[in-house]
Amino acid sequence: MVGATGALISLLISREGVCLSQAGELTSLNTTALAALVAGMFAATKEVATIVGENQFSILLQQGDRRHIHISLVGKRSMMVIVFEDYTRIGKVRMEAKKAGEAISRILEMPVEKAPDEEGEIYLPRFKEYALNLVDRIFRVDEEDDGAHQL
Amino acid sequence: MAHISSENQQIVFKLVYFGPGMSGKTTNLHWIHAQLAEKYRGELLVLDTEKERTLFFDFFPVSLGRVENYAIKFHLYTIPGQIHYEASRRLILEGADGVAFIADSRMGHLEKNIQSYRMMIDNMIDLRIPVDDFPVVLQYNKRDLEPLIELGSIERELGLSPGIPAIEAVASEGRGVMQTLRLLSMEVIRKFQL
Ligand SMILES: Nc1nc2c(ncn2[C@@H]2O[C@H](COP(=O)(O)OP(=O)(O)O)[C@@H](O)[C@H]2O)c(=O)[nH]1
Ligand SMILES: [Mg+2]
Repeated sequence: MVGATGALISLLISREGVCLSQAGELTSLNTTALAALVAGMFAATKEVATIVGENQFSILLQQGDRRHIHISLVGKRSMMVIVFEDYTRIGKVRMEAKKAGEAISRILEMPVEKAPDEEGEIYLPRFKEYALNLVDRIFRVDEEDDGAHQL
Repeated sequence: MAHISSENQQIVFKLVYFGPGMSGKTTNLHWIHAQLAEKYRGELLVLDTEKERTLFFDFFPVSLGRVENYAIKFHLYTIPGQIHYEASRRLILEGADGVAFIADSRMGHLEKNIQSYRMMIDNMIDLRIPVDDFPVVLQYNKRDLEPLIELGSIERELGLSPGIPAIEAVASEGRGVMQTLRLLSMEVIRKFQL
């Protein structure tokens, strides 16, 4: 996708604003924040769509001076974000987004039988024990923080 | 529910700071950001500024480290000040794993807290979040001011089952802030299912 369009970066994000996968060279970009904000933009746009009598806009395009963003819905639960510079390639971007989107949504919408390795990889009791340990260590309560007590 | 991505090898838990406008949600995030060591914290994004308290939210990603090959992350969100916008509230609650309800303890703000809490429950029901079994920590913030509402009064007004964890806080001085986050995170992890 990045190769086909000359895009700087392309992201697949969930509707809740989590980055699912990314490709491209703009590794310096804050993709975590980008994903959260784009999800917010899309939610706002959905509201706008309702007002003008549409159920949902499937594409959002932001045109800048140098960089542009093409955002498209992928299936029901995710979005593809493409950041690119050469605006004359918008047609190509749009086409590739559509193609990749269709392919990805077919995969995403396939009935997921829980992959066996998924269950095998995380052993829940141990996972929880370790994770609780991290929380215990990192979300520490400092001296000055103990003025309040848990009820 | 937690967002598990086998491709990125990460598990993201979403924590939402809910509550009436000006109750101290952003202040909680600022304090957490200030407390955490550099390597755990991402960039704190505060969009709900004095001028623009409309559609957007505050966002703060925290990375705890790896467990069983998975990077564990917490994404903290606040709901925006003006919550007329059903859509933005829903977006933020969607997929949430736990809520810190930040209440304003000042006398005269009881009704605002109650309204906000009810709205949250309504939104959760719309989103099919199992309300009764959902991790919530209630923070009675602004305990430095007077006169104050009594501890327990919000639960009583709402008819909440007793036992929902409550914490006294003065977020502007950092009191009770880390306890709230810690308690909520632990509850979220305990309830985590694959
Ligand atoms: N006195 C006092 N002020 C607080 C406390 N927590 C927050 N504030 C102040 O309350 C105002 C609103 O806080 P903010 O975090 O922006 O509220 P939000 O709308 O819930 O995000 C700010 O001026 C804070 O400094 C507290 O515990 N005590
Ligand atoms: Mg705020």
